[in-house]
Amino acid sequence: MTTFESLEENFRFMTIEATNLVDATLSFLDAPSRALFERIISRDDYVDNLKNVIENACFSKIHGGAEISGRMVDTIRSVQIMCANLERIADFCVNITRQVEHFADPRSLHRYDYKAMFAVIREGLARVAPTRRAADLAGALEICKAENELDALYKQHFDRIMAELSRGGDPRDLITALFIFRYLERVGDSLLNIGEALIFSILGERIKIEQFEALRQTLDKGGFTGSVGDIDFKSIWGSRSGCRIGRVGSRPPDAEDVASGSLYKEGNIRKIRREKENIERWARVFPGIGPRIFSFHEDGDHGAMLVEFLPGCTLDEVILSPNQELATNALFVLTATLHEIWAQTLTPRPCPTRFMTQLEERLEAVRQVHPDFERPERSLGLARIAPTSELVARCKELEAGLPAPASMLIHGDFNTNNVVYDHERQQVHFIDLYRSTEGDYVQDVAVFLVSNFRMPLRGRQERDRLNWVIAQFLDFAASFAEEMGDATFQARLALGLARSLYTSTRFELHPKFSKEMCLRAHFLMEKALAHQDAPWEAFRLPEGVLHY
Amino acid sequence: MAQEEKFFFESIQDPRSLRDYLQSLMDGLEKGRIVLSTGGDELTLTPPGLLKLTLKAKRKAPTSKLVLKLSWKDEPKAAIRSEDAMSIRS
Repeated sequence: MTTFESLEENFRFMTIEATNLVDATLSFLDAPSRALFERIISRDDYVDNLKNVIENACFSKIHGGAEISGRMVDTIRSVQIMCANLERIADFCVNITRQVEHFADPRSLHRYDYKAMFAVIREGLARVAPTRRAADLAGALEICKAENELDALYKQHFDRIMAELSRGGDPRDLITALFIFRYLERVGDSLLNIGEALIFSILGERIKIEQFEALRQTLDKGGFTGSVGDIDFKSIWGSRSGCRIGRVGSRPPDAEDVASGSLYKEGNIRKIRREKENIERWARVFPGIGPRIFSFHEDGDHGAMLVEFLPGCTLDEVILSPNQELATNALFVLTATLHEIWAQTLTPRPCPTRFMTQLEERLEAVRQVHPDFERPERSLGLARIAPTSELVARCKELEAGLPAPASMLIHGDFNTNNVVYDHERQQVHFIDLYRSTEGDYVQDVAVFLVSNFRMPLRGRQERDRLNWVIAQFLDFAASFAEEMGDATFQARLALGLARSLYTSTRFELHPKFSKEMCLRAHFLMEKALAHQDAPWEAFRLPEGVLHY
Repeated sequence: MAQEEKFFFESIQDPRSLRDYLQSLMDGLEKGRIVLSTGGDELTLTPPGLLKLTLKAKRKAPTSKLVLKLSWKDEPKAAIRSEDAMSIRS
């Protein structure tokens, strides 16, 4: 009869074998060889056998007639789930290996950072044994998180490959590379299953990561005193879950408390701590505009926080609602709120802006998606066309002499999807306050305008709506500037818009539209530079530069 | 077959900035030499005195288009001298 010890031992072997296979697959991608290929295939056979042995042992233990405790059944079931997923990871490795023969040139994969995905997988697998031994919930959550990391890395590769395909890259190499990244992403799904199985074996209930039980310890550590049973986790580790316009106004009357929804945020301690401090700061100045914090805890270089899930819909959804009145209302409430915030937190002292530095910091990311967007130096007869790098450098000098006349509390990442509109209460909320700071309101204005402009919609009606929102918001910001006597508003806005238009192209793969954004960014920089010797008060943002 | 040389530039302009570029092209046309460069690569055009001008305009809301095309046949580098004998053999 199989003892529990031998089951444990076989499971340990299985984890080691799966890890070895992952390592071998990475080596194969680095330098493919026949010998290594055969070793990978035979290792996979061994993993398949181990899986059968373990599964047989698990089923016979559970159904073998001997009395075993419910706790033990949980443990055995979790071993079986993990084992099935380790075997799947081994299969993915074999699939990846088999893809290599389809490359016209196997080295073409080396242009991508596939090693980063392997590193995440390796780290996740390395955690399995110690996490299981120590019944460590935080470790199990870390394993689950590998899926998110792999998804994000996959997305980067996917975007890049799509861009390369659309530019006429070799489909054979590009699609083979895409398949490989897709398999690596699916390894993430298996790691998530393994992490969930570990949580299951630790907590003793079959739960999904989205459900609150997995976070009980976080809540306890965070000093949350309410009943955790009241908490309904709408979304974990993601942004807002899909929000329908239909939900506006349908909030139950007792939705005041924690039960109305929470959002669990977890990550680098500095980032989480900074967001916490920012939320608290907003709460002091404008109570209710940001989310409330229900619990917070730190663990080494990791932080976790449970924040209020604010009722309402994100502004991008509201703006595109077929109901124009709803959009008009939302925009009215938003601009009134912003006016109040800016006016109340205004400190009249010069505040430097960093638009061109921000652009420079993201140049590499843009280059990865659109390698042809950086303009080389050109000449047209005697007329010289400055290259992108020169435009940015000269605008940076220009920007140094154009500080904002005042600073105020700004959001720092003022995209339409970081604003939540509660129609019932005629209120707006700000979310994702991680980058919030004292700064130039033009930063928020530019990001907001471009986040409308770059919505990937080409229908005439939708574009008309976006053009209308942009014009309204621009009017509002210009009249605020006039009110505070901000003479360089338009010039700073030109630089801010150039920055946002250019850097946002990395999220836009439509060749014509992304090119349009890039060209408009160059045009704005050229306009600002052409005005350099005239008084800035006279500078006007080129009309129609945000109209599409 | 002669090697094809190309130059491509796309940008957004307003009438004021556009004037500089058009003026530079006009100057080149009058001098009979327009140098277009990208990075280190140069393309030199030598427009002769006679040019073919084609103007095309199109409007289909919300887009309008005006295409101005100048084309010409380049003179052969060494013109065939009239006294050169020409013979045809079967």
